[in-house]
Amino acid sequence: MDKCKLMREISAVEFAAWELHLYLDTHPCDEKALEMQQKYVERAKELRKEYAECYGPLNYKEGSGLKWVKNPWPWEYMKECDC
Amino acid sequence: MFQYEKKLQFPVNIKNPNPKYAQIIISQFGGPDGELAASMRYLSQRYSMPYAELKGLLTDIGTEELSHLEMVGAIVYQLTRNLTIEEIKKSGFDKYFVDHTTGVYPVAASGAPFTAAYLQSKGDVITDLHEDLAAEQKARTTYDNILRLVDDPDVREPIKFLRQREIVHYQRFGEGLQLATDRLDSKNFYAFNPSFDKHCNKKVNNKRM
Repeated sequence: MDKCKLMREISAVEFAAWELHLYLDTHPCDEKALEMQQKYVERAKELRKEYAECYGPLNYKEGSGLKWVKNPWPWEYMKECDC
Repeated sequence: MFQYEKKLQFPVNIKNPNPKYAQIIISQFGGPDGELAASMRYLSQRYSMPYAELKGLLTDIGTEELSHLEMVGAIVYQLTRNLTIEEIKKSGFDKYFVDHTTGVYPVAASGAPFTAAYLQSKGDVITDLHEDLAAEQKARTTYDNILRLVDDPDVREPIKFLRQREIVHYQRFGEGLQLATDRLDSKNFYAFNPSFDKHCNKKVNNKRM
């Protein structure tokens, strides 16, 4: 998958996982939500693995050094990334 | 502990710099109802939360607010890139520029620097959750005002996302308040200072006071 598309996919899947995570703070016994949350977390793991291999690490566990420090950093304008 | 994720929670890519917009939006970085105040409020209040669900909720929302702070910083940063001195003078950005150049500094749109006086950590679950509910609505109103002042869709999209998050956090805090009030002693009808008094009474009973 191309870099921008893959990043958008990761953002969407992780957003869903995070939103369910917050919901589960106040509904900790909702089994259906818990199952959905796990599904999104698993999908995010696969996508992140692909991203780290092709485009570089998103956190310190996925890589260090040149791969980590390389530009762009998240707050920078990316012309090619029309997302 | 906190660890960095090298991505924004929602993308920020602003084609056209606009120092006028930057001056308005900086208020959600370091202003009275901004993301820095929000994050510090929840991450401070969580220590005195008496229930597991609320410790989780304050930790998680306080963490998400840090991601929002990063997004607002990115918006301000991109709106102030490649400016000419003429643009800076004409837009009124000169008053910020003289102190910070185009560095991102936690300040309100009025120019007042960030202060911890914007937030409270009262050590009382009912008091703190009411402050949190109000804070989410105040931030939502500020984002509504930003949307009234800003036309550029590149800026509006991430601002709309941040506005929606205020609404979701308000909902979760409301559920948190319900969880807390459900657990109050039935005699504590007016819901005052439940966590502190509970602790004190225990000490009196054990004759440690």
